[in-house]
Amino acid sequence: MNIERLEISRLSHRFGFGPKPGEFAQAIKQGVGATQDLLLHPPAIDQGASSVADPVLTDLGDFPPTGSIVRADFDAQMKAQRRALTLWWLDRMALADHGLTERMTWFWHGHWATSIGKVEYSLPMYLQNQTLRTNSLGGFGVHARTMITDGALQYWLDGGANTVAAPNENLAREFMELFTLGVDHYLEIDVQAVARALTGYRVNRSNGIVTFIPKNHDSSTLNILGSSGTFDAPQISDLVVARDDCTQFIAERIWYRFISSSVPLPNGNPIKNAFVGRDISAAIVSAATSNAMSDPQYSLVKSPVEWFIGICRALRITPSKVSKPDQVISYLDKLGQVPFVPPNVGGWPAGEAWLTAASFQYRLQLAQYLLTQGDLSPIKNVDPSLRFTGLSDLLGIANWSLRTERALRNVVNDPTRMLLLAISSPEYIVSA
Amino acid sequence: MDTLSRRHFLQLTGAAAIAAATPMLTIEQIAQAAQMRPLPLGTPILVVITLYGGNDGLNTVIPYKDPAYFTARPDISYAPSDLLTLDAELALNGSMTGIKTLWDQNKVAIVRGVGYPDPDLSHFTSMAIWQSASPVHHVSSGWLGRWLDMQQRDPMLAISLGSVLPPLLAGNSVAGSALPLGGIVVPTGSLALDCQKISAVSRTDSKLMATAATSMRNLFDLSSTITPILKEPAPQPLDLPTANGGSAGGNSDLQQQLDVVAKLIAAGSPTKVWSVSLGGFDTHANEKGTQSVLLGNVSSSIARFMSQMRATNREKDVVILAYSEFGRRVKANASEGTDHGTSGPVFVIGDRVKGGFYGDQPSLTKLIAGDLAVTTDFRDIYASLIEGVLKSPADTVLGNWKGRTNFLAKV
Repeated sequence: MNIERLEISRLSHRFGFGPKPGEFAQAIKQGVGATQDLLLHPPAIDQGASSVADPVLTDLGDFPPTGSIVRADFDAQMKAQRRALTLWWLDRMALADHGLTERMTWFWHGHWATSIGKVEYSLPMYLQNQTLRTNSLGGFGVHARTMITDGALQYWLDGGANTVAAPNENLAREFMELFTLGVDHYLEIDVQAVARALTGYRVNRSNGIVTFIPKNHDSSTLNILGSSGTFDAPQISDLVVARDDCTQFIAERIWYRFISSSVPLPNGNPIKNAFVGRDISAAIVSAATSNAMSDPQYSLVKSPVEWFIGICRALRITPSKVSKPDQVISYLDKLGQVPFVPPNVGGWPAGEAWLTAASFQYRLQLAQYLLTQGDLSPIKNVDPSLRFTGLSDLLGIANWSLRTERALRNVVNDPTRMLLLAISSPEYIVSA
Repeated sequence: MDTLSRRHFLQLTGAAAIAAATPMLTIEQIAQAAQMRPLPLGTPILVVITLYGGNDGLNTVIPYKDPAYFTARPDISYAPSDLLTLDAELALNGSMTGIKTLWDQNKVAIVRGVGYPDPDLSHFTSMAIWQSASPVHHVSSGWLGRWLDMQQRDPMLAISLGSVLPPLLAGNSVAGSALPLGGIVVPTGSLALDCQKISAVSRTDSKLMATAATSMRNLFDLSSTITPILKEPAPQPLDLPTANGGSAGGNSDLQQQLDVVAKLIAAGSPTKVWSVSLGGFDTHANEKGTQSVLLGNVSSSIARFMSQMRATNREKDVVILAYSEFGRRVKANASEGTDHGTSGPVFVIGDRVKGGFYGDQPSLTKLIAGDLAVTTDFRDIYASLIEGVLKSPADTVLGNWKGRTNFLAKV
C-alpha cells in the first residue's frame, strides 16, 4: 500500500469533502506536509463557497390555524424555505474551494444535532448553521457559550419550556451528556441545578431570537459540579467547558468522526493534549497530522452526504442546479441522511450502519442519476489507456483492490460505466 | 407536523438512529432459515403494530355513557347506536368489528389510560420515548433492541417489515432485521455483472470495505431465485366473517405487511418478534371519516391475521401489541379534529391473552391541562410482554421497572 497516497486521500476526504478535479494529483506532487499545511489554513474568504447565494429566509411568524385560508400558503412557504436552506448548504459543501470550514461546520452540526423536524422553521436553523461555521475552528469556550443560547438548539431541547415553576431538564442534561462532558461525568443533582440556572430564556421559534428575562430566571445560589454561586447560561457553559472531562470528551468525538468510529481513542493520543487549551483548531491539526492518519487500520465509512458531496466535487455538480434537486434530497433521505435532519439529539450514526443492501441500491440509483448531471470530461477526454490512473486521481482514491481494478479496466472504453462502478465501489464508499 | 407518517418519523429517528448495523434480510434467507431451523410450535411470538401519528383513543374505546364525552366533542362524537358495545361504559368504534369478534372470544385486553410520566406532545419525542422505553434519559436503543442484545445473535430473531428499521428494534450491539416490502430493485443485465465484480470478496479489503462489499452482494441474493414462500398465497383465513363493516376495502398496507408475516410464520421462520406499522392517525381535521377507515383497517387486518394463524396452528403462540405514541386532546378543535394529547388505550390480542379491561379509564372531568391523566405506565405492558411472551427478564430491558399488567394467561 502506498502510505503517502493513503494519507493524502484521508486528508482530502475526511477533513474536506474530497478533491475537485486536479487537486489530488497536485497534492500528491506536493507531498503530505504541504497538503496538511494547505488544508489546515483556510483562507479568510472562500471564493467557491461564497459564490453560493445565501438562501432567502424570512420570519414566517406563528402557524396559522389548521384549515384556515392562509395555512396552505404558509405551509408552502415553510416547505420552500426548507428546500432552499438544504440546497444552500449542499451547494456550499460542493463548491467550497477549501474543504475544512464546511467540513467542520458539518462536524459540529452532527455534534449539536438539532433537527428541523421539530424546529420546523428554516430561519433559526440557518442562523445556527452560520454560528457553527463562524465558530467552527476557534475556541470551544466561545463556541459552547454561543450555542447554549442558540435559538434552534433552545427550541429543540425545550429551553423555553424550562421555567422556575416547572423545570425541563432536557437542555441541561444534553448539554453535559452529549455536547461537553459525556455521560456519567455529572450527577443528577447537577442536571437539576443546571436546569434551574438555564431558566429565564424565551425562544421565538420562528426567528430563533432568544431573550433573557431576568425576572423569570432562577437566581438562587446553586451548587453545580462542586461550584457554588448564581449562574446564567453563559456562566454555566464556561463552568462545564472548563472541566477536565470536557478535554477527553471532545477529543473522543473528533477521533470518532475523523479517524475511527470502530476503535476507541487510544490512551495518550495527542488530540487530547492539543485540546487542553480548548482550541478546536489545535485539536483538528493534531488529528490531521497524527500517526493514526497513516495507519491502515483506521478506515472510516463515508456517510451518505459525505459520499454524495465527494461525487459532486469530482464531477463539478452544483446540487441546486441539477435537473431534479428534490429527487437528490429524496435519495439522501432514503439513504438516511439529510442535512438539518439528524435522527435525534445524539446525531447520525457512523460505520457499518450506513452499509445495508438497501443503501447500496439507493447509492447505485443516485450515482446513475448524478452521472447524467456531471462533467465527465476529465475521464472522457483522455485516452482509454490513461483513464484508470486518471480516475484514481479524480476521485482521490488511495489504493484500488485488484478486484475493483480489473472491473474498472474492463470498461475503460465506457467512461460513464467506469465512473459508476468507481463511485459505487467499496474503495470509494469507505475512506480507506 | 400535520401529516406525520411512519416514513417521516423514521426519517427523523429511524434508520440513522441505529447504533448497531442493520442486517437487510432477503426472503430467501428467511425461507432457508425457516426450513433449516423452524421455530418450534408452541414458541410465543410477539407482533408489534405501531400506529403512527397519535391515535385518538377516545374515539377508539368510547365512553358512550359519559355526558362529558359528548360535551367535549359535539361534532366528532359517536352516537351509542353506531358503536360496538363492550360493557356498560365503553364501546368500540363501529369500524372495529373484527376486534369486537375477538373481544367476544375473550382474546382482547384493552389497557386504558396508557402513557408515560410528564407527557410530551411532540410526535417526535413521544414516539422516541415509546420505542426506546426511556422517558427521561435519551437512549438510542429500542426496548426490543435491548432484548435482542441479550439473545444469542440471530438476524432472524426480530424482523421489521419495510426497508428502514424502526428504533424499537435497534439494540446497543445488535439490531433487528429489516425486510423491505417489494422495495428492492436489483440491477440487471451487464450492470448486475459489473456490480457483482466490484463486490466480490477481496483479500485486501479493510473490514469496513468488506462489509460494504457484502451489503452489495446481499442485494443480489434477492435476484437469483425468488423463493417459493412469497409466491405462495398467504395462509387462508379459516373463519373470517365475510363482511367487515368500516374496512377501507381492498388491501391496506397493514394487511400486506401482516400477510407477509403470516406467510413467514407459517413457513416456520425462527422469528420471535415482528414489527409492522400503519401511519396517518394525526387527525387534526375531519377526524371521524379518516380515523374510522384506519381503525377498520387495523381491526380487519388483525382479525384476518389471527385467522391465518389458526390455519397454521400458531394461533396459541401469537400475541399482538397495538399502540400509538399518544392519545389526543379531549376537546375537539375547530376543524372537527383533535390536537395532540396524552394517554390512550393499548390493545393486546391473542389466545394467550385474558380478555377484558386493564388500567383505570381516565376521567373526562378531571383533566390535566385539558388532557387525560396517565393511569398506566407503558412500561408495565412492555415488562409483562418481555416476561410473559419473550420469556426473558425485564430488568435488562427496562431497568428496575416494577409495574406489570397481568393480561397474559398462564400457559
